[in-house]
Amino acid sequence: MRERHLTDQELIRAADGELSAAEAARAQKHIAACSPCRMRKDDLETALAQFAAVQTREPIPPAAHARALLRQRIARMPEPAWTDAIWRPAAAICVAIIAVITIFVVRHVSDRRVAHVASVSVPNPMLTPGVTVLLSKGEVCEATAPKNKTVPAALQRKVFDEYGMTAADPKFYEVDYLITPALGGADDIRNLWPQSNTATDWNAQVKDALEDRMRELVCQGQLDLATAQREIATDWIHAYKKYFHTDRPLIRSSN
Amino acid sequence: MLDCAPESNILYPGSAAELERPSVANAEEAVVALFDELRTPLLRYLVAFPLGIADAEDVVQESFLALYKHLHGGKMPHNPRGWIFRAAHNVALKRQVRSRKDSKTAGTVAGIETAVDPAPNPEDRFSLNQTQQRILAVVRALPQQSRWCLYLRGEGLRYREIAEILGVSLGAVSLRLARSLALIGRAARR
Repeated sequence: MRERHLTDQELIRAADGELSAAEAARAQKHIAACSPCRMRKDDLETALAQFAAVQTREPIPPAAHARALLRQRIARMPEPAWTDAIWRPAAAICVAIIAVITIFVVRHVSDRRVAHVASVSVPNPMLTPGVTVLLSKGEVCEATAPKNKTVPAALQRKVFDEYGMTAADPKFYEVDYLITPALGGADDIRNLWPQSNTATDWNAQVKDALEDRMRELVCQGQLDLATAQREIATDWIHAYKKYFHTDRPLIRSSN
Repeated sequence: MLDCAPESNILYPGSAAELERPSVANAEEAVVALFDELRTPLLRYLVAFPLGIADAEDVVQESFLALYKHLHGGKMPHNPRGWIFRAAHNVALKRQVRSRKDSKTAGTVAGIETAVDPAPNPEDRFSLNQTQQRILAVVRALPQQSRWCLYLRGEGLRYREIAEILGVSLGAVSLRLARSLALIGRAARR
């Protein structure tokens, strides 16, 4: 099978050293063999240089006066009251003790419930920022366009591991695409997260309804594909409320 | 002032300025040293925010005073550069919101300084070539978040730091950068 081209996001992340070592090696290998990607990379680097030239043109006044002003303002700042020195650490210790007790109670008294209820309604943006492939609106709206497919079991396990949910019961979760393939989402672990099926109102079925709605709007020309991808990746619950004009999910959980 | 202080302290590799844990006595020196290092990049970012240079200087002062108070209270940000950019971003954002409110309620032009006119001004026309003028117009017309991403990246911040400052995902940072650069590239080729 032919290897897919690198996305613009992958190219810029490669240029900025923001890919993992394995991703960077793969991107480098692809770029070396792929003339269109090489050209896009060159264009991107030219754009970066052109922006750098206009970015640094703003004349900045000398620092001496501003530095002197900062020192004056620091000197005028009131000393913290001596009581703060006692009460602040004491308050911090109390908060820490309460937090430890709370964690202990939650972990040990209702361990099973916690594993079940851990409501992963929104993904961790550091683990699941959302990744897209280059698809036009036409491709998204074709009858043969990629649909939301089942994630292979091995990859599902990897996603659970990444989220530190090794003890979670998979039947209560759906390893879901943050940006659905039906809207150009990529088959990439950074686009997957374990979404609760039952624990909260904002579950996988609700998100599926949003995905259908957004694709419909994109194909009717009422919503830009890139906007749809951005909104669903940034805050899908907010997008749901916006496009269904409701503060509550219209589909209720089966619990 | 303190409520502009970033809440989380994340340790990022390659942060520009690592602070030694200062005593109360040398907190001032630590803050001034960081001020000397980061004032120019912060001002460039804030001017692009957009703020006038006098307002930007105010925001920088306020942010470093917040850092001083933070250090004075015995707290230590693991990534001072990220911390100070985030503090400055929060203060600037508040000013922007306040200035919009003022202009709405008073019916005045209080927010005029923060309104972006994408067209090059006479000074730009004089100092920039035509391609640069087109690029500047495109950058000024970008959505705010995209422009912030672009300028923060330009000041050398890592994507995680940018995501932390703007409160968006890593994917959103790279997406906004990719889109902005595509527009810049197109403007340059026109």
